[in-house]
Amino acid sequence: MDQQSERGAFEFYGSWREYAPIAFTNLLLTIVTLGLYSFWARTRTRRYLWSQTRFIDDRLEWTGTGRELFFGYLLVMVLVFVPLAGIQLLMGALVSRGTQSAAAAAGLLFVLLYLFVFALGGVAIFRALRYRLSRTYWHGIRGGSDDQGFRYGLSYLWRTMLGSAAFGLLVPWALVSLWNERWNAMSFGPYAFRSGATTDGLMRRYLLFYLLPVLVGIGAVVLVVLAIAFGFNPRAAQGGTPASFTPAAAVLLVGIALYILFFVFFGLIALAFYAAYFRQGIGNLTLGALEFEFTARTRDWLKLALGTIALVVCTLGIGTVFVSYRNWAFFVRHLRAYGTLELDQFTQSTTRAPGQGEGLFDSLDMGAF
Amino acid sequence: METRVWHYDGRSGERRMPAIVPSADERHFMLQGDGADPGPYAFADLEPHGHSHHERAFGLKGRPGWRITFLEFPPSEIAVHLPKPARYGAWIDRFGLWRSAGVLAVLALLVVGFTLKLPPLIARLIPVSVEQRMGRLIVGNLGTYACASPQGDSALKALGARLRQGDDVTIRVVHAPMINAVAFPGGQVVLFDGLIQNAKSPDEVAGVLAHELGHVAHRDGMESLIRQYGLSLLLGGFDSNISGYGNALLNARYSRKAEAGADGYAIGRLQAANISPLPTAALFARLAKQDEDPGSAGILLNYLSSHPLSSSRERQFTQSVRPGVAYKPALDAAQWQALRAMCGDRPAPAL
Repeated sequence: MDQQSERGAFEFYGSWREYAPIAFTNLLLTIVTLGLYSFWARTRTRRYLWSQTRFIDDRLEWTGTGRELFFGYLLVMVLVFVPLAGIQLLMGALVSRGTQSAAAAAGLLFVLLYLFVFALGGVAIFRALRYRLSRTYWHGIRGGSDDQGFRYGLSYLWRTMLGSAAFGLLVPWALVSLWNERWNAMSFGPYAFRSGATTDGLMRRYLLFYLLPVLVGIGAVVLVVLAIAFGFNPRAAQGGTPASFTPAAAVLLVGIALYILFFVFFGLIALAFYAAYFRQGIGNLTLGALEFEFTARTRDWLKLALGTIALVVCTLGIGTVFVSYRNWAFFVRHLRAYGTLELDQFTQSTTRAPGQGEGLFDSLDMGAF
Repeated sequence: METRVWHYDGRSGERRMPAIVPSADERHFMLQGDGADPGPYAFADLEPHGHSHHERAFGLKGRPGWRITFLEFPPSEIAVHLPKPARYGAWIDRFGLWRSAGVLAVLALLVVGFTLKLPPLIARLIPVSVEQRMGRLIVGNLGTYACASPQGDSALKALGARLRQGDDVTIRVVHAPMINAVAFPGGQVVLFDGLIQNAKSPDEVAGVLAHELGHVAHRDGMESLIRQYGLSLLLGGFDSNISGYGNALLNARYSRKAEAGADGYAIGRLQAANISPLPTAALFARLAKQDEDPGSAGILLNYLSSHPLSSSRERQFTQSVRPGVAYKPALDAAQWQALRAMCGDRPAPAL
């Protein structure tokens, strides 16, 4: 099948008017079930979004169910979080014993627990991706992975730790290498995903992000010194005319302005880094003879973020039900694919489909589409 | 006229366009032409797999990826055998959205109601030893403020004995100007020196103390903590947040019901001990009046914010007076003096 460069290989043709009845009934049912319906709600949302997404000549299909999401969540709660709570109780008991060795044991337990939960976060990210690929069908073919994700959890642990250890300078390396490791374990149909993303072009933006607090700190000191200098000596400078503003007010105003500016800039640079990271990650991803590209630049991400904020604020929060719709539409609209796909060789995935949904991901509250 | 469908067999991604032909028994169908596996397949094995506009897709039970998609609305002899698409989920589809939402809303209200009733139930399930350890830890935090003198301690003991304080109750006085008294978990009752200094007679202290003993007897403190901290209190190991729990209890507002329960308990104890309830009623009246005086707001707020006064509370104490009974003061003059002098003249340490 040839590339379709004019229309783009991916197309999203959903409409918010069609989605609104789904979103609002989801909201209603989630409220009256005290949140229990959210698993089914998410499934309905995805089923709609996937079904309104065309790849080359046919739509995607989401085959996940609310029940498997729900049971996945329950299973994780019972198998992971009940034992964790038990260990915490044990730690409390050790501390209250008061002896030094008991306190040391509790401390050790705490560190181990922390590392374990951290690694679990990696496993959750991996398994959520695997689950989503395994429930996504196109032409009757699905994706998946033969990997359980536990090795990835360990990798996530040490790479993230190492990334932040060197004054955080290796964070981009950690992010990119984890992206590669994750995607290289995934497949769709007979083809394995291959990801060869590098930190090229990421480091510059990251350094900006990294150095901004330092620069702002220096700038703030300079400004405050200037403000105090001018605030304290208006008489000397202007030959005895009374000061029109007090130094305290000046410092306060400059401080507030800097504070706001800092967060605006910080957010922008973080967004710029994230945009580059996403382009880098998807741009170096291949599936068989297919290559992918993600075209969203910082400006596009900013528009998405501001639009979402406006939507949520202006509707007093009700617009939140459209956030996943917006995100998906954004994602598909900027996704490109090039190359060819031989359908007669595009056979069913041989990976084992996971039995449960992304319960681990949910229970660690990691957020999702 | 033949009906053609888009068909994937779930083994390869190749799309075929066979004709769908119902069998004579009307329970099965075949897929004919374009290299499709002809079947037969049972209509009963079909599962709805999404629809949009006029397209309707179906899968086959036990055959992941197997699909047929009708691009036009299927003819009625086929359509009647097709399963209905799921919308909200099996149960809700069966009863209809609005009816389900109504029933679920009622259930949700019941669950919320039950959950609100849960803290007292859980509080009663916590072993007494655990609660006592917790109370000791919380009150241990007040160590530097604690007041003690041999005479004062024996006066406290005498007061407790007259109110028939249980063996597992510990009463302490702390050096703080607030007019307040708190029942911590595990029978740890703390009287603030400000309350004792403000009281005009030992009977007033006895009334307040009896009220706190009521909270102890009903385990209201534990219930309040469970209400505020939920299960994290039980699962998180409570040693980590002892001062937080102490503060929470200092500022706790019990429910009207818990307050009334503690008042009832206090009135009963005062009666049994032959202590007049009138001074306690007078104390309530005085506190309520002082509260209106802006100068004393800071000190008074403490008691009033955690024990909202109402005329009905005052009236209850007043009405519990039995005519003709010769009431005895809760403490004699020497004991009362010792209690008042317990914290000495030094200024209270800053809290």
